[in-house]
Amino acid sequence: MDPRTCLIVDDSRIIRKVARRILEDLSFDVAEAADGAEALDYCQAAMPQVVLLDWQMPVMDGLAFLRRLRDLPGGRAPKVLFCSVETRADRIAEALSAGADEYVMKPFDGEILQAKLAEVGVVQSPS
Amino acid sequence: MTPEDFDRLQTLLASRAGFRLTRDRMQLAEHRLGPVARREGYHNVEAMLASLWSRPVASLGWSVIEALLNGETWFRRDRAAFEVMERELLPALTAARPGGRVRLWCAGASTGQEAYSLAIAALEAGAQVEIEATDLSRQAIEKALSGLYTSFEIQRGLSARAMLRWFEQVDDQWRARSELRAAIAFKRANLLDEAADEGRFDVVFCRNVLGDMAPERRARVLDGLERRMVDDGCLFLGRDERPDGDSVAFRPVAGRKGLYVKSAAAARRAA
Repeated sequence: MDPRTCLIVDDSRIIRKVARRILEDLSFDVAEAADGAEALDYCQAAMPQVVLLDWQMPVMDGLAFLRRLRDLPGGRAPKVLFCSVETRADRIAEALSAGADEYVMKPFDGEILQAKLAEVGVVQSPS
Repeated sequence: MTPEDFDRLQTLLASRAGFRLTRDRMQLAEHRLGPVARREGYHNVEAMLASLWSRPVASLGWSVIEALLNGETWFRRDRAAFEVMERELLPALTAARPGGRVRLWCAGASTGQEAYSLAIAALEAGAQVEIEATDLSRQAIEKALSGLYTSFEIQRGLSARAMLRWFEQVDDQWRARSELRAAIAFKRANLLDEAADEGRFDVVFCRNVLGDMAPERRARVLDGLERRMVDDGCLFLGRDERPDGDSVAFRPVAGRKGLYVKSAAAARRAA
């Protein structure tokens, strides 16, 4: 399979590091952004195949980024996985209806992330 | 725990549960038995085992057995099996069975994720299913019956949409909605026991059970499954499990890994 790019958008350097390790093990090329505005710049230059997206971030939060992304040319293509400490059902539903393909509740581990990536069809399901 | 203790645990697990407690699980066994010893009021694992060996196997013995079984499971584990079920078997069986009623058995259901995955598939397809889900572990069946899962468990194999559709939030856990729970009868049962012949199943899921069993017990379990299946019933085993050598009652379905059909030979023998 061709190398695929996953953009990790999170203001926590630790979360980015943990997620990067898991994604690289699943043979993704990984890029990082610390907020929605940085992520939007990245996507305008080169659209990734997958975005792992935090919700609460300074400058531009995940939901605002997601709405802007989906309006970009080619912006409907990336699979977007929200990844947040927000676990209320109504908020999860809100993220999905804003255009997220999947939702990961923090804390997560490699098995959960792999299962969610399989759910959107970008990796094989774990066995 | 002494090597003698471990030998006796191996014998206990093999004779009562058919479970093969391999030597590489010695540390794991020690780790899992700690909480059991505390709960049962013993100073340590050794004291509990000494007491266990001095008496006939009763509730303490079963607590020990349950703690050592392999209850690993998650939602839609081995996705391909569920896709075959959803796309091929459920529509075909619904059309073929009187009143469209399909009977499923999850044998070795552990904490229920597989049974709930099947119930979701059936309800989403509008199929009428009765699901019986059994496990040797009373603790696992109690959790399955509660339908309560942590956010770690609920996210493993289930999409966010399916989670919101079929589970409701209860504090920091997620509980299967009542229509889902109503589709499944959870019971404690030992696959080594003689099957009480109360109706037959169209499809049996017995996955990742045989692989952990003592080889000399597999034939007995397969025989018990076969007896409770309709003549053209389907059996799903784990991805790398095969009935070869332990049973002639099942033949593999080409291109459908882990799927077996009860064969004509078995049907003739039963007649």
